Amino acid sequence: MNNLIRDLRADRGWSQAELADQLGVSRQTVNAIETGRYDPSLPLAFTIARLFALPIEAVFQPE
Amino acid sequence: MNETSTPAFRREFTIAMLAYVVALCLSIYLLQVVRVGGYWRWLVALMPVPPMVMVAVAVMRDLRRIDEMQRKVQFEALALSFAGTALLTFSYGFLENVGFPKLPTFGIWPIMALLWIAGLRVVRRRYR
Repeated sequence: MNNLIRDLRADRGWSQAELADQLGVSRQTVNAIETGRYDPSLPLAFTIARLFALPIEAVFQPE
Repeated sequence: MNETSTPAFRREFTIAMLAYVVALCLSIYLLQVVRVGGYWRWLVALMPVPPMVMVAVAVMRDLRRIDEMQRKVQFEALALSFAGTALLTFSYGFLENVGFPKLPTFGIWPIMALLWIAGLRVVRRRYR
């Protein structure tokens, strides 16, 4: 899936490590999600959307 | 969180491995120097097993602590190790039938561990 996480993170001035801490995952997981190499589970996708205060469809788009 | 291990895992694993080394040394000393006899030899020979259980518990606890992607990576690496160990040990077993020297069963776990480590390196690269 495509996602806007890198842009959303950059807008807030967060590093990958900072975002990872807020999500309770590893920095490697954040990087893999941003680069599209890993699709998060539904609960994690909702957690990400909630953190950015956006609907989930605004963060993740199908390829 | 660290890619390879959490601080809690490193602590639990280190304590378990230290306990294993102590138990192993004590077991060897009691068997080969003190030369305990009778059924005590069985118990002494099995002294390293409780610390081995501690290592296994440390690994299982870490598998519950890591995040979903790390758990997926571990699963794929363990599957590679499982399949690879089966293929290697059975292949060598067939060769033993045609005269190759019989290897001790102690050799199986190191093969599995090496394939697990190799599997982790291969699988992690896919998510970088």
